[in-house]
Amino acid sequence: MASGYIVNRGALTLGIHYRNVCRTNTFTQIREKKRWMKSYTYTMERKRKIEGTPPPKPRSQKPNWDYHAEVQAFTCRLHENFSLELLKTAFVNPCYIESEQKRRQDLGMDSETIALVLKGNIELRSQGSDFTSSFLNDWCRASFPRLHSDGVAAVVAHLTCSTVVCHVARNLGIEDLTMSAEFPIPDDVLQSTLMAVIGALLESSGAERAGFFLRDFLATQLIGKDLFDMWIVVNPMGLLMEELAQKNMSAPEPRLIRSAGASTVLPLYFVGLYSDKKLLAQGPGDTVIAAEEEAARVALRDLYGFTENRRPSDFSTMRRQQEPVQYVASN
Amino acid sequence: MTSRGTPSRFLQSVLQNGVGRYVCQLKRISIIFSKNAQSSLGVREFIEEGVVDYAKTNPGTVVYVSPNTSRIPKIVAEYLNGNVREEEVTSKSSKQILELINKLTNQSGLDVIRLRKPFHTDSPSIQGQWHPFTNRAPSIGPIRPLP
Repeated sequence: MASGYIVNRGALTLGIHYRNVCRTNTFTQIREKKRWMKSYTYTMERKRKIEGTPPPKPRSQKPNWDYHAEVQAFTCRLHENFSLELLKTAFVNPCYIESEQKRRQDLGMDSETIALVLKGNIELRSQGSDFTSSFLNDWCRASFPRLHSDGVAAVVAHLTCSTVVCHVARNLGIEDLTMSAEFPIPDDVLQSTLMAVIGALLESSGAERAGFFLRDFLATQLIGKDLFDMWIVVNPMGLLMEELAQKNMSAPEPRLIRSAGASTVLPLYFVGLYSDKKLLAQGPGDTVIAAEEEAARVALRDLYGFTENRRPSDFSTMRRQQEPVQYVASN
Repeated sequence: MTSRGTPSRFLQSVLQNGVGRYVCQLKRISIIFSKNAQSSLGVREFIEEGVVDYAKTNPGTVVYVSPNTSRIPKIVAEYLNGNVREEEVTSKSSKQILELINKLTNQSGLDVIRLRKPFHTDSPSIQGQWHPFTNRAPSIGPIRPLP
């Protein structure tokens, strides 16, 4: 495009000086300082400033794109055995089919010759999301056996929420492969595409592999997360009292155990919770009420086995199954 | 520029890679070269000798080989997190290019900038952060200004 422009301009400038030559020769190369280039670049820059940056293009419309190879590489990269047809179906969203049909109709082709032979991912999507929620529920119950059922539901809801799932999908390269009507791809489409991919994996390799996939890519997002960031508890003291009542322990008794700087702008209080004259937990705060609430949260974390220094969840069982154990007794 | 002024980040991985399973982060590599320029002699050699072996050993990476009229041969690496790195390989030998491509394969795609520490943890202390009451017996009483 640019070179064509340059040639035109070259011919024009030549045309002024050597009109006869220009009529006979359509293409003449000249070597000189391109004085028209400066104004040309300025114009283009001003145009860009007025119109703004061009809208982002999907990767599939840029050079070097082979869809089949990309899909195959996707399966190899994740070390999974997808059936390729199912996986390709999983990437086709119903909104894409609609827009594609509309585009073809607008081009004025009759609907019989250009019938789309694409299947949407609606079935795979529902299968995948059902399996995801049930698997994550089981996984949470297994890894946090003492956690309250509301807490399990909150953790699963956090893991299957749009932000976490889209973050995972973007970092697995699903965004490039997704066929969607709009670009940039909306979050709900991306989320349902990942669910459809999980559904395709469930169909092609079975529940065990799909479970490992979920554990490796979704459940690992729980690392470094605090329980009460995911689970909004308004009244932790009430919850703690319920939990202790279930365990037949006496109700927690808050006591101010330490305080400093009460008359300053940075007061500090420590409240300890005692049950049966034993210290359950202590928590800091800048008012006594905040400290009491914090102490209740600390106690709940302890009860549920969700403390920061808990033993990390085991994500390596698959590797252990694959490699036969080769230990030899040393003595 | 001082080290405080340069951009920096913490040691991290994409999507907790390696906790569950290792995923090669390089999703696509395009080798752009000229068919007859002197500067892409090494790239042409690499395409004859090494590129098929590379593609076989890395099935998770899509390799595109595209001839171009440009005199500057390039290697464009695209990573799973969306980052794109362009490396110029003008007048490099086939062996050097293989080394470069292996390096790109092993990278995570995060920005190559200064790391603040060669280690990182989300929970820096198991015991908890220090406060005025750490290791202080409760019997001593509250902290007050001295009389």
